[in-house]
Amino acid sequence: MATSRRQFLRRGWEIGGSLLALAAGWTTYESIRPLAGSATGAKLKLAGPGSYPPDTATYVVEGRLWVANTGTQLFALSQKCPHLGCRVPFCESSGHFECPCHGSRFDIGGEWIQGPAPRGMDKYALSVDGANLVVDTSKVLPGPDRGAKAFFKPAKGPSCVPGG
Amino acid sequence: MPDGNGNGNSDGDSSPTRDALEPKIAYAPGGGMAARVERSNAWRSMFRHPTLDTPRGRALQSFSNFFLHVYPVKVPTRVLRMRYSFRLGFIAAVLFVILVLTGVYLMFFYTPAVGSAYGDMQRLRTDVGFGQLVRNVHRWAAHLMVLVVALHLVRTFLAGAYKRPREFNWVIGVVLLVLTLGLSFTGYLLPWDQLSYWAVTVGTNLVQYVPLLGHTLQNLLIGGAQIGQATLLRFYALHVAVLPILVVLTLGIHIWRVRKDGFAVERSSAGVFEEEATARPAPAVPATAPASLYGGRTRVLGVVDRQSVTAEERAVDDTVFTWPHLLARHVVVALGVAATVLALGVAFAAPLRGLANPNLTPEPAKAPWYFAGLQELLAHFDPLVAGILVPGGGLLTLVLLPYIDRNPSTVARRRKVAIIVFLGLVIAALALTVIGTFFRGPGWRFVPPWRHWYVEL
Repeated sequence: MATSRRQFLRRGWEIGGSLLALAAGWTTYESIRPLAGSATGAKLKLAGPGSYPPDTATYVVEGRLWVANTGTQLFALSQKCPHLGCRVPFCESSGHFECPCHGSRFDIGGEWIQGPAPRGMDKYALSVDGANLVVDTSKVLPGPDRGAKAFFKPAKGPSCVPGG
Repeated sequence: MPDGNGNGNSDGDSSPTRDALEPKIAYAPGGGMAARVERSNAWRSMFRHPTLDTPRGRALQSFSNFFLHVYPVKVPTRVLRMRYSFRLGFIAAVLFVILVLTGVYLMFFYTPAVGSAYGDMQRLRTDVGFGQLVRNVHRWAAHLMVLVVALHLVRTFLAGAYKRPREFNWVIGVVLLVLTLGLSFTGYLLPWDQLSYWAVTVGTNLVQYVPLLGHTLQNLLIGGAQIGQATLLRFYALHVAVLPILVVLTLGIHIWRVRKDGFAVERSSAGVFEEEATARPAPAVPATAPASLYGGRTRVLGVVDRQSVTAEERAVDDTVFTWPHLLARHVVVALGVAATVLALGVAFAAPLRGLANPNLTPEPAKAPWYFAGLQELLAHFDPLVAGILVPGGGLLTLVLLPYIDRNPSTVARRRKVAIIVFLGLVIAALALTVIGTFFRGPGWRFVPPWRHWYVEL
């Protein structure tokens, strides 16, 4: 059956309107999406590898991250808990990272020990540049799966979270 | 000729048509200033009808008043009873108006900038007339609106008022619930204190569990990898412009549909309306009717929706004029709501903790109370289950509910399964919210509120 003039115009309006809505949606998304690396993304030059004693974590306030020395390896760990984003402090007495919000715990290498966090602590790319460490905060590497236990050591003392 | 709205076609005061519509006797007699103003052309150009205590006069009050157009001229008598709907929808609307008024006031003293937002909140306490009180009222009205909208949803379900022909209005109501949560949540960040910063941190991190799109959505929401200036500005724009406009539009459709659907179902004879609508017999053809009228060539003069016909054919004696019967009750309820939030605002100050510090997480960090149940769920289940399947599935089920539940009855005893399942879910959500809000302490450990109070509203 031949398309009538009215049907043709109606279909034209439908297609045109849909394209317009699509363009408006895409333009809105492009306008409001954050530019890559707008919040983080800087390359931080830190003190050399010898500045971080074994089994300790040093906080780097500019990058909101921890440089952790497991005794065999250095990691730049994001301070953000992979569970719900709280800042995870390092507990000197237990030697673990302990999230005060929901009780997640991680070992010195950022591996999951217990709590609701779905994985270990996220990491940033770390490299050595001459005498310095360089942390690239634009590259976030998802934390290890829950089963990882490469750097686990039992708590050496009491927990920092009350009742923990 | 006067039109259906009672408006004459004449502009002049001397027009016989206009005088016939507006008897002089109805205007205030005498030579006093008030009476003369009321009789003046200027007054009558704004208020076209005097207050006539006749059925027609009461109808004109609605016809000729812009604001009263939201109401029908007449409403079923049962609508006047408080226990008919507990006025929950109306109360939510009043709270929204209070939020707009107090919110606009607060906007005069607030800049959405990380460097100044917290200082502005402090200045509200010290330098702004009624600043703290207005902020308190705004906060309490926001909490109450979430609560009242949720109760409205529960009541609507129990009354079976989501069934035909109100299916789509239920969907609109669910959208309004989501918008209400969005309004409350975006406002939560604006004080830029420790409470707001970490509550929003926890709340926005829930989004990351959406499969595939989680991180993109989270970045879109907070404007970057971490909560900062971009987040504050986004939340402010959403809070003061985008979401309120969406609420006004959606609320308009919601109220309009309530009117078109003949208000909520009758509680006493629930289900009758449905049966009337679906089992109406075809009109009998008179034996003496000319063939040209019924059997032969006919002309369609109009098509009327069956539901509308049913709504129109309700017993006319069962209605009363909106003005003044319903309006007077609404004014009393609105004043009661205003008095309640004012009393709460005077008695309990909105909290303001220390300046937001991304390097210091308070113990515990809780999401706003209406998301605390979700946070509690996340402590027990896999994020995919607790963060996505339960809330997403729950919301989708709510939206699809009127299309899933095909039982036409609105009578409770014929809907036992639906009511038991629904109430079970409501109680579960309530229990999770109460535990997450009142019974959790540092490390999300169980701490009864009588031992230590870790609650911030």
